[in-house]
Amino acid sequence: MKRFPNQIIRLIIPFVIIIAGLLIAKKFLVPASFGKLGHFRADALGEAMSKPIHYVGQQACADCHDEIVKKKAASYHKGVACEVCHGPGSAHVDSPTENKPPAPRDRGFCPVCHSYNPSRPTGFPQIVTVTHNPGKACISCHNAHDPVPPHAPEQCGACHGDIARTKMASPHVDVPCTVCHETPTEHRMNPRMYVPTIPANREFCGKCHAKDAQSAKEIPRIDMGTHGERYVCWECHYPHLPQVYNGAAK
Amino acid sequence: MESLNERLMSALQQVSGYIYPNEIELHWSLLIVIYPFITGLVAGAFILASLEKVFNVKELTPTYRFALLTALSFLFVAPLPLLAHLGHPLRSYEIFFTPNLSSAMAAFGFVYAWYLMAVLLLEVWFEFRKDLILWAREERGLIKWIHRALALFSTDVSEEAVRFDEKAAKIITVIGIPSAFLLHGYVGFIFGSIKANPWWSSVLIPIVFLASAIVSGIALVLILYTIVTLLRSEKIDMKCLDRLVEFLFYAVIIDFSLEVLDFIHRLYQSEDSIKILSQMVCNKLFVSLVIMQVLLGTVLPAIFLVFFRYSRFPEELRRLAYFISALLIEMGIFCTRWNVVIGGQLFSKSFRGLTVFKVEITGFEGILMSLALLALPFIILFVVLKILPPWRISSLPVDKN
Ligand code: HEC
Ligand code: HEC
Ligand code: HEC
Ligand code: HEC
Ligand code: HEC
Ligand code: HEC
Ligand code: HEC
Ligand code: HEC
Repeated sequence: MKRFPNQIIRLIIPFVIIIAGLLIAKKFLVPASFGKLGHFRADALGEAMSKPIHYVGQQACADCHDEIVKKKAASYHKGVACEVCHGPGSAHVDSPTENKPPAPRDRGFCPVCHSYNPSRPTGFPQIVTVTHNPGKACISCHNAHDPVPPHAPEQCGACHGDIARTKMASPHVDVPCTVCHETPTEHRMNPRMYVPTIPANREFCGKCHAKDAQSAKEIPRIDMGTHGERYVCWECHYPHLPQVYNGAAK
Repeated sequence: MESLNERLMSALQQVSGYIYPNEIELHWSLLIVIYPFITGLVAGAFILASLEKVFNVKELTPTYRFALLTALSFLFVAPLPLLAHLGHPLRSYEIFFTPNLSSAMAAFGFVYAWYLMAVLLLEVWFEFRKDLILWAREERGLIKWIHRALALFSTDVSEEAVRFDEKAAKIITVIGIPSAFLLHGYVGFIFGSIKANPWWSSVLIPIVFLASAIVSGIALVLILYTIVTLLRSEKIDMKCLDRLVEFLFYAVIIDFSLEVLDFIHRLYQSEDSIKILSQMVCNKLFVSLVIMQVLLGTVLPAIFLVFFRYSRFPEELRRLAYFISALLIEMGIFCTRWNVVIGGQLFSKSFRGLTVFKVEITGFEGILMSLALLALPFIILFVVLKILPPWRISSLPVDKN
């Protein structure tokens, strides 16, 4: 008859000791409230709730700074919370005169949102910080709670910086924006209410580029009947950088 | 407030395009590069060892025990990068005590424990038990007691017991192969299952990880075998080395084709992330991916291996060429891990911008720590080889029953 191999017994002993040790340790080490509400220590909720509050939200400010809150709510900064600029306000709300929140009065802060960056959405007000009235604090011309430019920007590039800069380096550099976009003057004050037009069809570009167009001689001509078939031109040419065909430079 | 703003501004200087605020700084650092690198070495070395045991590749016998001990030494270190990265090593027991079944990451403790306790330690124990007992019989002093304790004070070296050891080792190897696949496939799964990251999210990743693990494991054993044999002033078994090189070459080819397949797959699918990914590969990862991983770490050594394997150069030259190729391959695999881990965090999940990775020198996740962690397995291996010299054959015979 075969013996039960001795080495198996030798192995089982340490394994049993380890597993038993772990089971006993588990009893002592897993907190009592673990698993009551989910895969966490239920007591942690109470501990988290007893932690000091730092941010109080915009409503809290309204009790005392009613005017500013109202003003801001009607301004372009309506989506920017007070504490974004003034920091956590809890201590200030508790004792207003002792803990005064800081205010970002220098030029460093506003460009966090407003410095030019091509990936910001179309129309988002942006500036090139180094050239935009350098040396002066932003708040000397713009009210942070109701930011409007001192006068409406004359140039489309103030808000459409990316497009303006792109067009600047394209063959269309001398074609003004307004040739292709009929822009109501109100668009510069209130861009979302008064929207400029956008060319609607192939014939629009044909006004300058068709074989029989009445336009300057050096403008390259195409056969409107065959070129690009029936697609609108901007399927293939980005109108603000027309030498780019479908993304690839010629 | 000012200093926060200044910090943000200086960080933004290194960023191109648009990225989300929490992407400026990379959260998975150098240590997380080392973690899959080391686990890969473990799995690879083990799979090499099992070639001899299960598939009876006789030429590889000289490296069998050696590969096992290499895998063991590296396995001891495998969790350390994670512990250092998480920064709370004293809490690590919690993943055993409060198992979270819905978290793949939390499964690591169990995958690791299974592989260490149920596979590697057991296999090493059965493999060395007979020798431990026989060595202890002819020794005295401390080492005798160490060997006796390691044999768990068993004394039975009858032929029947030794046969049982062999059978047990073989069964464990058979269980061990899928376990090794599981260990490293699991590491790949951790990355491959992250839907939100197109650089990682791919069902191929666990398989690519496995293939590269096998490559790195074989190369490591080749390097260590060469060095240790030379240090012992023994003759290198050239048949064994040639066979190792053949397997290494096959593994490199499989690994490379899988990577290329993954690459073509991405190109052809051309999802919305492809633009930013190709930008990243062409700029930020060009050196580490195209030059170091593909050219220096794969193509060049693969050519070297075939050329020298089938040429008639003198043995010393061939050995040198093998050795250098294996080093290059090891560097290439390290870059593979780097490109996966760091690459996956360099691009914004908005697909509109790239950030940079700045390596620290000191600090918990810095270069010094990483070098220490990479050196540790070699030190452990040195000690293990002192206690369990794989080449030592006892002069005493096995008991007859
Ligand atoms: C309980 C009334 C109260 C509430 C609520 C309150 N404030 Fe004030 N706040 C004051 C008073 C009073 C002062 C004037 C302190 C002074 O000049 O000594 C002040 C001053 C300020 C100042 C100017 C500090 C300076 O340096 O001049 C800022 C900025 C400010 N509050 C922001 C906030 C914000 C943001 C909130 C909401 C999170 C808020 N406050 C909520 C009472 C309040
Ligand atoms: C875009 C950033 C910004 C936001 C948002 C903002 N503030 Fe201010 N706030 C400033 C700046 C800058 C000053 C300093 C103006 C100055 O010194 O002329 C200031 C000054 C103040 C002052 C003191 C001077 C004054 O005009 O009475 C109070 C009070 C104040 N803010 C309250 C608020 C409250 C309440 C809100 C939210 C409703 C708010 N702020 C939102 C930037 C901001
Ligand atoms: C947290 C981001 C943020 C910060 C900080 C910020 N702004 Fe704004 N700003 C906005 C948003 C959002 C708008 C509205 C854009 C829109 O309507 O599309 C805006 C609009 C503006 C406008 C344009 C109003 C118009 O007529 O179009 C000006 C000017 C302006 N901000 C100035 C400032 C100044 C000055 C500061 C610093 C005190 C500042 N902003 C800080 C987000 C910010
Ligand atoms: C000397 C006064 C002055 C200073 C200082 C100044 N601005 Fe302006 N800002 C203007 C004027 C005027 C315009 C209208 C732009 C135009 O006509 O080109 C304007 C336009 C803007 C616009 C675009 C608004 C829109 O609707 O397109 C933003 C954003 C802006 N400024 C932010 C800032 C920020 C941020 C700072 C501080 C870094 C700053 N400004 C400093 C006078 C100033
Ligand atoms: C005060 C900032 C501002 C100025 C200045 C400005 N725009 Fe705009 N523009 C916007 C904003 C904001 C939008 C986005 C409107 C929307 O998405 O609803 C917009 C949208 C447009 C559109 C797209 C309309 C559409 O249907 O999508 C065109 C075209 C345009 N602007 C042309 C111009 C031209 C041409 C000028 C110069 C004559 C100009 N804009 C000056 C802010 C501005
Ligand atoms: C040659 C004619 C042409 C000129 C010049 C031109 N545009 Fe356009 N623009 C178009 C066409 C066509 C579209 C529609 C493109 C589309 O739908 O893909 C367009 C679209 C736009 C849009 C909305 C879509 C977008 O790309 O964000 C804006 C904003 C805009 N133009 C602004 C400008 C501004 C600002 C200028 C001057 C700097 C300008 N355009 C000059 C032809 C022109
Ligand atoms: C007001 C006249 C005018 C209109 C309208 C116009 N273009 Fe142009 N276009 C020009 C001029 C001027 C050039 C530059 C010719 C030169 O290189 O000297 C040009 C050049 C081009 C080029 C050649 C770029 C190259 O490869 O050098 C393309 C493509 C083009 N335009 C496409 C368009 C499209 C598409 C539209 C309609 C959205 C359009 N254009 C509308 C005047 C116009
Ligand atoms: C299907 C894509 C497509 C469409 C649609 C299309 N184009 Fe083009 N266009 C091209 C390509 C590609 C080229 C460059 C071809 C070449 O170099 O022969 C080109 C070249 C041009 C040129 C430069 C010719 C020269 O001699 O340098 C002009 C001008 C032009 N297109 C205008 C237009 C206008 C206007 C429209 C709309 C009526 C239009 N395109 C529609 C693809 C297109």
